[in-house]
Amino acid sequence: MNALRFAWRSLVRQPARATLGVLGVAAVGALLLDMLLLSQGLVVSMRDLLERSGWDIRVSASELPGRGGRVSSATRTAERIAALPSVKAALLVRIANADIERSNGSPITAVFQGVSGRSTRAEPITPPWTVVRGRDARGPGEVVIDTAIASAANLEIGSTITLRANCVGDREALPPARLSVVGIADFPFAGTNEDAMGGSLDALKAACGGNVGDEADLLLVTSATEPNQTAAAIRAAVPHLYALTNADVVGRLQQTGFTYFRQISTVLTTVTVSFAVLLITVLLTVSVNQRLGEIAALRALGFSRSRVVADVLSESSLIVGLGGLLSLPLGVLLAAGLDRILKGMPGIPAELHFFVFERTALALHVGLLAATAVIAALYPMRIVSTLPIAATLRDEVIG
Amino acid sequence: MILRQLVLMLAVTVASAAHAQESPPDILISRQLANERGLSVGSIVQLATDAAGTGARRFRIAGIYEPTPDPARLGAVPREVRMHLPDLLDVTRTPGVPAGTEYIANINVALADPKDAAAFSRDVNARMPGVIARPSGEAAGSAGPFRVLERFHLAIAIVTIVASTVFLLALTIMLVDERRETVGILRLIGLPARRVLMQVFIEGVIVAGAGAAFGLVLALLSEGLINAFFQWRYDTALIFVRITRDVALTSAGIAIPLGASATVLASWALLRRSGLRLVRR
Repeated sequence: MNALRFAWRSLVRQPARATLGVLGVAAVGALLLDMLLLSQGLVVSMRDLLERSGWDIRVSASELPGRGGRVSSATRTAERIAALPSVKAALLVRIANADIERSNGSPITAVFQGVSGRSTRAEPITPPWTVVRGRDARGPGEVVIDTAIASAANLEIGSTITLRANCVGDREALPPARLSVVGIADFPFAGTNEDAMGGSLDALKAACGGNVGDEADLLLVTSATEPNQTAAAIRAAVPHLYALTNADVVGRLQQTGFTYFRQISTVLTTVTVSFAVLLITVLLTVSVNQRLGEIAALRALGFSRSRVVADVLSESSLIVGLGGLLSLPLGVLLAAGLDRILKGMPGIPAELHFFVFERTALALHVGLLAATAVIAALYPMRIVSTLPIAATLRDEVIG
Repeated sequence: MILRQLVLMLAVTVASAAHAQESPPDILISRQLANERGLSVGSIVQLATDAAGTGARRFRIAGIYEPTPDPARLGAVPREVRMHLPDLLDVTRTPGVPAGTEYIANINVALADPKDAAAFSRDVNARMPGVIARPSGEAAGSAGPFRVLERFHLAIAIVTIVASTVFLLALTIMLVDERRETVGILRLIGLPARRVLMQVFIEGVIVAGAGAAFGLVLALLSEGLINAFFQWRYDTALIFVRITRDVALTSAGIAIPLGASATVLASWALLRRSGLRLVRR
């Protein structure tokens, strides 16, 4: 009988403790997997989201788009950028807060994105939303809204909405504007708890009563060549603005906003692995100590030292291996729950995920659990390898 | 000082004090900015709203301050300048805007009696259309991210407790099994099962209490280390871990009953057997 089968029989003989050991490893393993997914998940997800948007470069007045002032002389700036040879198209984005009035109930607060495109090559310009029903908004009197607004305000395509916009400060007292809903759209960068609507820059200006000036929160640029070269060309053309490629944005976010999750993931990974090593060591040590007589008898019957050591290692591997296998579905379920909790943060895009499955994370998970199985078995392996056969058997008989 | 947004990302260049025609206005700068640029109290600097230094004005550093820790800006080095509002407006005023027509975002008002905040806000809202007054307590909405993080940490803590409980049960089953013969002898010499169970329970409480106390001491010792590491890592005075009385009581309140229950649960099956079976006769 090989060491693995022998270890299996040892575990089956004590089903309660073996089951609890495996379940404990499964719970710890699930947490470990989630922490590994968390360490890079947000970055991977953000990169994916930025690349899916179809825009290669973001031009803004501050280091991180959306955190700081606005781009002044936005129309002229957009035209200058669009005229660069390496630029396919540029989209000027202005954001305002809007309260959509409802016939019954309190107003719905939404983020209103007004866009205006520039292209010198007749390239198609895509807005930062995807129309799922109806058509895209054109002109000053039309908007598209997200499904949450449509359902909360009982709006359909063709309905008219009345909104009050806050375009410059936090709160303004502008007169209400009436706009027609022509489509229902997905806004990938809208936050989980955030309702969004979009339209042309003219529509936003109409809602703001013209109180927006020639300023933009952001300029989105599609590059005809390598994005880094285009970003450099934009920086040369408009040196007072920041031009960041998708990779730059992810890099900046990694250095600032996402650091906390990487740190917490590192701390919890360390704690989780240490916890697992400690507990499996104790489980195996107590188990081995209870079977010292039995192990000494096996040695006396001819089992070699390396064979009994292999038995202990196999037992550890079985507990950790079975627990590790169980930890995968448990980890996925737990990740979904934790992701839901974290996405409650204000300003986090609904399509951004904190826990993203990656093969490297799975490989690291397997590697760390394998190391746990070996390290946890070291001390009990030492006990059985240095076990004095005759003295142990004598103690067993006298005891 | 300043009523508006105080944090400015301005180009800073040290100017020669020798060229000073008159004493420039005073400003305060954050410790991080002073360290990064090698600035000290008394230095004369030029501030402008763009990197090209358009319309730069000279200021004298009157002091260096430690920024109020802001969890929302964790990871961002606070390069901050504080100046008097008229100076700020002079620097940031766009050409063509006459002085005195600028707008400010917020006015912070200190009331003689803070309890009047709600009534005062209502009064301002009624008398000044276009201005929104809110008690500062309502700004608690900005703490949203931290409430979410609190829920996240709670979820992690629950998973950790579940894993610990499972391991604890496995360990107590093994430990109780190890004492099978002792329990059997106690039963054979006449001690009722309830008496043995009580003994096991008290033992469980003592062990769990000692474990909880050890855990708290470990947490208190690591509290300083964790805070020191993250304060160094993020260059902030924020407190990341704080073991409060409530946290300590909650931990003990979970650990001790859990440990004692696990011991009793593991012993229960053993105590239902007869003394002879326990001593294997």
